[in-house]
Amino acid sequence: MNWTWFHKLGSPKWFYQWASNWGGRCVYLGLALLVIGIIWGLGFAPADYQQGNSFRIIYIHVPVAVLAQSCYLGMGIAGFVALVWQMKLAPVFIKSVAPVGAVMAFIALVSGAIWGKPTWGTWWVWDARLTSVLVLFLLYMGVIAIQNAIDDQVFADKAVAVVSLVGVINLPIIKYSVEWWNTLHQPATFKLTEKPSMPMEMWLPLLFSALGLYLFAAGLAMWRMQNEVLVRERKASWVKKEVLEHGV
Amino acid sequence: MNYRSYFKAEWLSLLRRKQDTLNALLFFVMVITLFPLGVDPSADFLAPAAGGIIWCATALSVLMAVEGMYKEDYNDGSLEQWLVSGLSVTLLVFLKVLAQWLIVVVPLMIVLPILAQMLFLPMSVLGVVMLSILLGTPALFFIGSIGAALTVSLRRGAVLMLLLILPLYIPVIVFATGAIRAAQLEMAYSGQLAILAAISLVALALSPVMAAISIRASVN
Repeated sequence: MNWTWFHKLGSPKWFYQWASNWGGRCVYLGLALLVIGIIWGLGFAPADYQQGNSFRIIYIHVPVAVLAQSCYLGMGIAGFVALVWQMKLAPVFIKSVAPVGAVMAFIALVSGAIWGKPTWGTWWVWDARLTSVLVLFLLYMGVIAIQNAIDDQVFADKAVAVVSLVGVINLPIIKYSVEWWNTLHQPATFKLTEKPSMPMEMWLPLLFSALGLYLFAAGLAMWRMQNEVLVRERKASWVKKEVLEHGV
Repeated sequence: MNYRSYFKAEWLSLLRRKQDTLNALLFFVMVITLFPLGVDPSADFLAPAAGGIIWCATALSVLMAVEGMYKEDYNDGSLEQWLVSGLSVTLLVFLKVLAQWLIVVVPLMIVLPILAQMLFLPMSVLGVVMLSILLGTPALFFIGSIGAALTVSLRRGAVLMLLLILPLYIPVIVFATGAIRAAQLEMAYSGQLAILAAISLVALALSPVMAAISIRASVN
C-alpha cells in the first residue's frame, strides 16, 4: 500500500493547501445534502405508524448522535498518533474537532430530550444511552478545559492527546457498563452493514442527512485546522507568502 | 535509588504524614454523614442505598487523596530526579500509586464496618462491599494518577482534574454498586466483581504508561 499520503499529512504546509481545496467543497456539499435530507425527512417521508410525526426528529437526532461518537473516536486515534509518531497535525486535529464534537453531543442530548417528551412522557430518564452521551459530553468538556488551562503549547498537546486516548479506551467500557446498568432506549436504528429495519423512503433521507452532516463536520474541521495551522506556523515563510498572496 | 529503596522511602514518608491519611478518612466520613442528613435518615432509605453512598464517598475521597499525590514531588524537584534517575518512570508511578493505595484503603477498611452499621447495611452484605472496594479502588487510583500527573504543574489544577477523571470512574461505581445490589437481593454477584477486577487490571496495565508520559510533559 502506498503510504505517501500519510507522510504528507505530517506537513502542515501540505495539509493547508490540501484543505483549502477540499474544506469548502466538503462544507457546501455537506450542507446541501443535509438540507435535502432534512427537508425530505421532515416534509415528505411517511409518518411513523406508532409515533406519528414526532419520529421525524430522528433526521436530526441520529446523525448528530452518531457524529458525536465518531468525533471522539477520531480524537482518540489522533491522540495515539500524536503520542506515538508525534505528528504535528494530530494535536491540531484534536483541538479543532473537540468543540465540534461537544456541540454534536449537546445537540444529541437536547434533541433526544425533545424526542423523549412525546414518546416516553419525560424529558430525561437515567437510561444507558442518554447517560453515556452525557458522559461523552463531559469528556469533550474535559478535553477542551485542559486545552485552555495549559499555556505551554507542547505540554498542552501532550496532555490533550493523553486525555483523548484514555477517554476513547474508557468510552466502550462506560457505554457497556451503563447499558448493563439500565436501558430503555431502542437499539441502534442506523446500521450501514445491515438491511435497514425501516422502509426505504424513511431510511434514505436519514442516509442523506447523516452523510451531509459528516461531510459538513469534516469540512468544518478542516477550516478550523487551517486556522490553527496558520497560528502555529506563523513564523514559517510559507505562511507569510500565503497570507501576502491570498489574504487571511 | 532503586525501586526497592524508592518504595520504602515513599511508604515511610506517607506513614509520617499521618494528618493527610486522617484527613482523607475524615473526608470519607463527612461525605457519608451528608447523605442521611441531606436525604433521609430512616433505615428504609439507607439500607438499600448504603452501597451506593459508600461508593460515592469512596470515589470522592480517592480523588482527594490522588489529586495532590505528585504536588510535593513536583515542587521539591523529586519528579525531575525521577526522569534523570535512569529508572523507568512507569514503574515508579506504579510503586507510588501502590503506596498511596495502601495508605488510603487500609484505614478505610477499618472504619467501614462502623459506617456500614450507621447506614443500616445488612451484615451479610458487608463482605461484598469490602471486596468490591478492594477490587475496585485500584482502578480509581491508577486512573486518577493520570489526571494528577497532567495537572500537577497547573496552578488551579484540582477542579480540572475532577472534571477530567470523574467521568472515567463511572464504570467502576456502576459495577461495584451492581455487585452490592445483587448481594442484597441474594443473587450471584461474582460476575460484577470479576469485571471490577478486570477494569482494575486494565487500569493497572495502561495508566502508569499514560501517567509517565504526562509527567514527562509536565516537568519538561
